[in-house]
Amino acid sequence: MLRLRGRDYGADTCLVMAIVNRTTDSFYDKGATWADGPALERVRKVVDEGADIVDIGGIKAAPGEEIDADEEKRRVVDFVAAVRAEFPDLIISVDTWRATVGEAVCQAGADLLNDAWGGHDPGLAEVAAEQGAALVCTHTGGITPRTRPHRVAYDDVVRDAIDSTVAQAERAVALGVDPASAIIDPAHDFGKNTWHSLELTRRLDEMVATGRPVLVSLSNKDFVGESLDLPVGERLTGTLAATAVSAWHGAQVYRVHEVAETRQVLDMVASIRGVRPPARTVRGLA
Amino acid sequence: MIVGTAVCPHPPLLLRELTGGEDVAAPVREACHGVLAELTAAAPDRLIVVGGGDTTAEHTDAPVPARAYGGAGTPVAQADALPLSLAVARRLLGETGNALPVELHTVAHDADADEVARVAAGLAGRGERVGLLVMGDGSARRGVKAPGHLDERSFAFDDTVHRAVSEGDTAALAGLDAALAEELMVAGRAAWQVMAAAVEIEGAPVSAGVRYADDPFGVQYLVGVWTCESS
Repeated sequence: MLRLRGRDYGADTCLVMAIVNRTTDSFYDKGATWADGPALERVRKVVDEGADIVDIGGIKAAPGEEIDADEEKRRVVDFVAAVRAEFPDLIISVDTWRATVGEAVCQAGADLLNDAWGGHDPGLAEVAAEQGAALVCTHTGGITPRTRPHRVAYDDVVRDAIDSTVAQAERAVALGVDPASAIIDPAHDFGKNTWHSLELTRRLDEMVATGRPVLVSLSNKDFVGESLDLPVGERLTGTLAATAVSAWHGAQVYRVHEVAETRQVLDMVASIRGVRPPARTVRGLA
Repeated sequence: MIVGTAVCPHPPLLLRELTGGEDVAAPVREACHGVLAELTAAAPDRLIVVGGGDTTAEHTDAPVPARAYGGAGTPVAQADALPLSLAVARRLLGETGNALPVELHTVAHDADADEVARVAAGLAGRGERVGLLVMGDGSARRGVKAPGHLDERSFAFDDTVHRAVSEGDTAALAGLDAALAEELMVAGRAAWQVMAAAVEIEGAPVSAGVRYADDPFGVQYLVGVWTCESS
């Protein structure tokens, strides 16, 4: 069971979370939605394409110019309020590791805090509990935000991801977060090399078996690029292949750049799994 | 005494669960429900279903083999399920809340005139009031995208059936060419001929009409009704 913005989603329902960057330098869009106008346009477009959630972020994941909490708030808080005003029913997520930012965006209308750096600021889960928000608990292997993995090693990366994310989720629930709103994310490429991310994808069913709703963020990442030897901009097919496998294993939320393509893959996998009827079948039945 | 007959097609896609998100067969199903209501209005004591099948036989009630065509539910060996024509009839009767006793017969798709006459003789001349529900499809070769691709002779053949059903012309149905029907993938020839022969034993239809005739997926679907008793 997954509960977001007061709505319940059964295990067979997959949600698309569209990435909306309020950054000048994110790896994929390189500042395309830095200004308010294009960012709101992006929200309208992804909603039109079938996104269930928008994930608004003010700081790119990779190392770069330091963005303090005040600047991060300037980038996201008013924008969250503007999106909330235009889309009263849309589930709004904010990608942040800072509790102070989390509190401000919840008050502006956010429903979900995407703690992409794995509980680096323990106050963020407390904010989620106080604000009645959902929380994404991610596995980073304990690295500092905005650092790259360097010679990272795990006895068993899947075990480590499960133990870490479930522990964060249990702590969040103890603090008061709704158990159906404590989502776990193995965090492909965060504190992991490509082999680790591939193994997490291959064994994602083990995370799903914890019973917690699972989010995956696969979109155009380096593990896709290294697997296929392709640069950013040519990784959609690989991303969608990883999406299909994750959907087959039972992941429920997909954080993506390309919404329409992802929706199609998720619908197709759901039909293969037998949990979604095909849209229209006539062949051989007339 | 046969008080009336209803003619319905029996494509699997009349089973609602087989067409996915879209109910592509809704207009056909609605027409079938309509002629079942007309048949029931003739106040029969019993319904006898006749549909095409691999062999000529009387059947006891059995599950509808939706799973065999890809639907959900418990798998049933096709040998233990109703043949398609009777299964679709069974479903239509269920949808319309039929409460009358039902008898189920198949007539072999390749039945010759003698076999047709034998089956018809078993249905006519009964003491009770009988409503015949006749399950049959026209040609499946009515276009390049049709299941059997295009055979131009389909149109004349199906037109003959259409005219015969709409006019209550038993002789025209009796005269259908069995070999041509097989070439055109017509799944209704023998069943329609049983209807014509059974009605002819007792007399002739007093009114007749076609309520639906179209080929939305390359197969001719014909829905019609005869009343056989002067009021």
